[in-house]
Order: sequence, then structure tokens, then C-alpha cells
Amino acid sequence: MLRSLLLEYQVLHALLLRELQTRFGSHRLGYLWALIEPIIMIGTFAAVWSAFGRGGQLKHDVLSFLATGFIPFILFRETTNRSLYAIDGNKGLLFYTLVRPLDLVVARILLELATQVVVFIVMIAGIAMYRGGLEFHDLLTTMVGLLLASALGGSLGLTLCGLTAFSPSVERIQGPLLRPLFWVSGLFYPATALPLNLKHLSGYNPVLHVVEMVREGWLPGYAAYQTSVSYVLAWILTLTFVGLALERVARRRLQLS
Amino acid sequence: MITLEGVTKAYRTRTGHNVVLNALNFEFPARSNTGILGRNGAGKSTLLRILSGAEQPDAGRVRREGRISWPIGFSGGFSLALTGRENSRFVARLYGADVNTVSRFAQEFSDLGEYFEMPVRTYSSGMRARLAFALSMAIDFDVYLVDEVTAVGDSRFQKRCREAFLARSERSSVIIVSHDLRTIRSYCSSCAVLHQGQLLGFDSIDAAAAVYEA
Repeated sequence: MLRSLLLEYQVLHALLLRELQTRFGSHRLGYLWALIEPIIMIGTFAAVWSAFGRGGQLKHDVLSFLATGFIPFILFRETTNRSLYAIDGNKGLLFYTLVRPLDLVVARILLELATQVVVFIVMIAGIAMYRGGLEFHDLLTTMVGLLLASALGGSLGLTLCGLTAFSPSVERIQGPLLRPLFWVSGLFYPATALPLNLKHLSGYNPVLHVVEMVREGWLPGYAAYQTSVSYVLAWILTLTFVGLALERVARRRLQLS
Repeated sequence: MITLEGVTKAYRTRTGHNVVLNALNFEFPARSNTGILGRNGAGKSTLLRILSGAEQPDAGRVRREGRISWPIGFSGGFSLALTGRENSRFVARLYGADVNTVSRFAQEFSDLGEYFEMPVRTYSSGMRARLAFALSMAIDFDVYLVDEVTAVGDSRFQKRCREAFLARSERSSVIIVSHDLRTIRSYCSSCAVLHQGQLLGFDSIDAAAAVYEA
């Protein structure tokens, strides 16, 4: 047991460093790329809002409000994307027989989590310096929210990845599947501001739950609509279970050459 | 030591199932070099992938004792964006070997010169094969699985490979698949022929050769 845990650590450690090098190492400013997307998103929304004088309706700082929405969403979306292509992009590594398909997925999930946590800290620190003060409500809730966003993205990516073994067209539905979530997950509005029937419906969206969790933890006095850890966990466990089951079946169909 | 018990593998093709390995039973002895002769398309590389564990058989099982190498001669495990050194460090970490020892050995053995610090993308296929081979020699395995050594490098490099295998044959065994009888003769003491999904063992290479060339 201990030996296989050590081996697992050894394999994941090697894979993580390799992913880190291949993902960020080839560009001199590689790490900056991870920051550019949230900066553009948040900047655009903040600019449009202030042009229309809409930000004033929020009782919270606009930049912090947007950052706590966009970053957990980007974490979720990127983890899904990266774990979906984890095996396809690294098939050659399976020849090193210590590496199992699942290791490739886990390494990518971990690297994305680490990356986006750093992005979150940098953005929040930047906003705090700009505003000349840092305040937050409950750090633990924010951290749980980010972890759940990562696990949700990872388990969805695992399931989609398993499905691609049966039909490659899964890669094509992934875009249309994730894009609407950008609009319905409360990234740029508080869920409580929705009309009653929409509000009820959006409670089924687990991404909205994690966004609200991150926000509730960060913004003092933010009234979240839905932040059920157990609801999100149910999604994660179901998707993980389906993904692992698919992996077991797909493993035999995986042809290396 | 590797033991095959009823190992079967088939691939889906347009015309139906193509059974590559049909209920193989075989025992590869420890500390002995075994050659596997087979014509092109006989399933040699498939067998090697299954021996290594990179692919699962459809039925049957493979028992392995000791550390088994990946199929050597295969260079698809490299990240093309990373340098020879970075790839070496990755393999060393993966197998829990000392990072500096492995990359120093790989650098010397592969004889890539300053290309060792260049991305693998810039390598020719021969250079990739040399790096792959050097790396597998840098890690201590109990069984080395080799696919077509003859394809790797020039005669000077092949000489070096032979010496490396000889130096290891005290502790390790080698399983080589090839379609070339000369390769098998120069490395192996016993031999098997892979033909029509069956693996037939022979005590001497001459006996195997007689069947193979018939």
C-alpha cells in the first residue's frame, strides 16, 4: 500500500513537472498567458459597466465581484478542456508502463488548479493594491469553492474523455455544452437578482453553486442564493463514477500505435 | 521473468476481427536472452507492448517479476517541445532514478553532442532512436524489451548497444523481437517463432531458424 502510494507520487510528480515545462516553458512569458484571459474578461466587463453606469447597482467592489465570478469559471472550464485532451495529447507516455491513463488526467487537473489559484491570488492582490485595501469574509468557503470548481471540471473532463473512446464527435459537443454555462452561472450578476423562475432553474446548475461559494467567501456581506456543497459533490461523484467506469471499458480499446 | 497465460489479442478491422495473438502460453526465463522471430505483421510489436504492460490483452494474463522496461526502440514517449536533457530528467523522475546520473549517462551514450540541449523536435528519427535507446540503458531493468535493434543508429552505435547489453546480461535478461535472424543470433541464446498467432519455443536458434525459414 505504502509502496504503491509512493510510486503514485513519483509518477504524478514527474508528470506534473513535465506538464509545467511543456505548457509554460516554451514561451518566455508563458506564465503571463494564464493571467491575460481573466484580465481581459474582467477589464471588458468592468469598462462596459462603468460606461453604462451599471456597476453602481452592486454594493460590492466591481472588480472583486467579477474576479470571484470569472476565475472559478475559468478554473472549471480549463480543467474540463485539459483533462479531456489529457490522454489524446500524451498517448506516447503510456509506453512508459508506469504511467496509466488516469495519471495523465490527474496531473493536468492538479496543474490547472495550481495555476488558477495563483491567478486568483495575483488578481486579488492586484485589485487590493489598486483599491488600497484588502478585505475578505471567510477564506475557507472561497477555498472550498475553488476546489469544488476544479473537481467538477476534472470529473466532467474525465467523463468526456472516456466518451471520446467511443465516439470522437464528443470533442465537438464539448464547446456548445460549456459555452451556455458562461451566461447562466452568475459570473456577472448575483444569482439573487434573477427573476424568480430563472432563479429556481439556475439552482440546478452546479457551476453557479461554486461561483456563489467563492463569492460568498470573498465579499463581505454578499448574499448568496445557492451554495450547497453536497449538491456539487453529488455531481462530482456521479461524473467521477461514470468517468472511471468508462475508463475501464475504454482502456482495452486504447490502441497505442 | 515473464509468463504468458492464455494471452489473446485481436484488433478490429473493416473485415472483422484480426486475431493477432491466439491463446499464447509461454514462459520467458530469467537471466537469459530470448529472441522472437516473426515476419512483418506477425504481431511482434503487439506482443512486446503486451509484455511491457502498455497494452492489455483481450483475454488471459501476463505475470511479471521484476522491473520490465518499456518497448525499447520506441521514441514516441518524448515531448517534442522539450530538450533531450529535459526528456531524460522526466524519465529519471518517473522511474525514481537519480536525475543527474541518468541524464549524464544518456548524454554520453546517445552521443548527441550539443543536440542534447535542443528540443527533440529538431532531431532526426535516428537521433530520437539513439536517445530512446540510451535512456533505457540508463535505467536499471530486470528485463529489457527490444523492438528491432538493427534499426538503431550506425555500426558504431550498434556496437555500443551490444556491449551495454552484455554488461547487463549478468543481472538482466533481454527479449528481442525481430524479423532478422542475424540480429537474434548475435544477442540471444534461445529463440521462439511467432507465427499465425502462436508462439513456438526452441532450445536452439538453429532449430528455430529451420522452422522460420521453411
